Amino acid sequence: MYAPFLRQGRRRGLVLALSLLVGGSLMTACGSSGEPAATTQAGQSPASSAGTAGGLIAIITPSHDNPFFKAEADAAKAKAEELGYETSVASHDDDPNKQSELIDAAISRSAKAIILDNAGADASIGPVRKATDAGVPVFLIDREINATGIAKAQIVSNNSQGAQLAAQAFVEAMGSKGNYVELVGKESDTNASVRSKGFADVISQYPDMKSVARESANWDQQEAFTKMETIIQKNRDIQGVIAGNDTMALGAVAALKAAGLLDKVVVVGFDGSPDAIAAIKAGEMHATALQPAALAATSAVEQADEFIKTGKVSKDEKQSIDCELVTKDNADEFGVFARK
Amino acid sequence: MTSTSSRPVAETVQPERAAATARRLSLLNVAFELRAFIALAVLIVVFSVLSDSFLTVPNLITMTKHVAINAVIALGMLLVILKGGIDLSVGSIVGLSGVVAGELLGGLNLGFADLIAYPPVWVVIVLCMGVGALVGLVNGILVTRFKVAPFIATLGMLYVARGLALLISNGATYPNLAGDPELGNTGFGLLGSGRPLGLPTSIWIMIALAAVVALLLTKSPFGRWLYATGGNERAAELSGVPIRRVKTVVYVISGACAAIAGLIIASELTSAAPQAGETYELNAIAAVVIGGAALSGGRGTVRGTLVGAFVIGFLADGLVILGVSTFWQILIKGAVIILAVMLDQGQQRLKRRGAAASAVAATRQPDRPHQQ
Repeated sequence: MYAPFLRQGRRRGLVLALSLLVGGSLMTACGSSGEPAATTQAGQSPASSAGTAGGLIAIITPSHDNPFFKAEADAAKAKAEELGYETSVASHDDDPNKQSELIDAAISRSAKAIILDNAGADASIGPVRKATDAGVPVFLIDREINATGIAKAQIVSNNSQGAQLAAQAFVEAMGSKGNYVELVGKESDTNASVRSKGFADVISQYPDMKSVARESANWDQQEAFTKMETIIQKNRDIQGVIAGNDTMALGAVAALKAAGLLDKVVVVGFDGSPDAIAAIKAGEMHATALQPAALAATSAVEQADEFIKTGKVSKDEKQSIDCELVTKDNADEFGVFARK
Repeated sequence: MTSTSSRPVAETVQPERAAATARRLSLLNVAFELRAFIALAVLIVVFSVLSDSFLTVPNLITMTKHVAINAVIALGMLLVILKGGIDLSVGSIVGLSGVVAGELLGGLNLGFADLIAYPPVWVVIVLCMGVGALVGLVNGILVTRFKVAPFIATLGMLYVARGLALLISNGATYPNLAGDPELGNTGFGLLGSGRPLGLPTSIWIMIALAAVVALLLTKSPFGRWLYATGGNERAAELSGVPIRRVKTVVYVISGACAAIAGLIIASELTSAAPQAGETYELNAIAAVVIGGAALSGGRGTVRGTLVGAFVIGFLADGLVILGVSTFWQILIKGAVIILAVMLDQGQQRLKRRGAAASAVAATRQPDRPHQQ
């Protein structure tokens, strides 16, 4: 499809383009492994830092353009620095290859521990084992891997419980009956199906709740908006929308508002993002299930600290943190993915 | 669009037979010219049969509103593709423009004297388009002055513009762009949700922009220069076309168009996310290609591009109305794009044969140089 650049420079153009591409990817690789996004305490070189502070804790998460991961990384960083560690924060952008490079970098810098929100349940097993074998303990947050006994801890929020919590509030607000739309997350993502199943577990108990549409909007606000507008064209008789994340719920809110339906429709989301909490306060959304991202991150750092100091972990590897329901009644009690 | 007859001809065919062949092929050509319309008609018929709620006036308006966003980007992309280039940065410009709007509507901290400026909405719109045009200008300069291949230059700017959007917003979404009556910056929402004369604003924007681009291409010297540059850059340069200026201007226009699309999206949602518009460049390219433009440049029309955008948009919305699984939606979209390009290849083969035949049939006329 991208033929034009071949046209202009002919063969030499192609060689140049390819070498640029290769060079570019090498450069990003060096950039990310050699110099993590936000190393604190400039002036301390990695080699000498191990002796001076409590050592290095590497925090690796998906892209910070999602406020959830930013909140998680910020919380872990703050806790680690409070406990006297040096930190390096980096993002793998959900690229298993980049994640592997970042873990290599952490190993070569003799990190004391890695706090990881991983880039894939299967693809991350190898890199986590590599770090563990090299003597760097890995504490997983937010997402599990499909193996146990390698990571020191896997602390995830209880998506199933959260989804059931949200669905329960949804059913109650709808008076246990009516037509509803479900917006599902990216269907290749485990969390999308776990949440959808959690919704179904509760809603299926109420025979008067009728699903009129179930669409994936890929976690995306604009896509949720567009699909919701189209669904409204098909059927205006809708009393509720339940979405796999808040971003999609807010997209649905915008579409319902434009169609003049918002005051008749109950909208429930998932995640507890600051924007959703603002919408709940404004009466545009009914509820959301807040994932305590900050709590999981600080807990992981505390357990890492314990392991570094004692060589042991006192908790089970698999830990789940319950989600909390946010409604208009308690919206003021919550901050960025955490209780205030 | 049918300016291919000036291509050099190597074949020698008997004049009478060639004339007949040319006539026959030109009929086939008409069918091919209409293929995007035919595809659109087929889509509409199929979806109307399968669902009652497809062919209704409100749904057609809603779908056209969805089409408008892609069409606005695709019109800019058309100009770049006519030049023989490509603009991969438009999706990121969509995000950047929304973020800049969010930042400006939330108050522009002037730094000195603790002053926070709240520019009125029209200023915000102009500034956002300016930002899009600026990214386009960088694209243009990279391509013309530094001879970076368009694919690479705009790929680079795809990341730069997205990075800027994330930096400005610090990764967060601007949640409320409604403005404050006291500050006199309300009305941004009208761009997405206003309905002058019964149609959403975005549809009017699409119509106006299409008219402007069509006039530009068919009635202005710039249009002739653009087709000439895309058809044969060297020949255009030798006949006095300011190809550098033409090449730079198309990227500027493309950037501004993408910025408009970003504003529409931010206005519809009354919130702006830095991730908005990811992969939109591909939808725009697809619309242009389905509309019969050649990626090698010099061939393509506004009408075709609009129909291409309608094909993609109606297909997507129709499949949602039918409740087809998301995975099938993606697959079907890909198949339609490939089919369109395959048809295009067939048309090009026919055209070359037709051109060869008619060139032999007609007595050759001396080439007319471009006049300025």
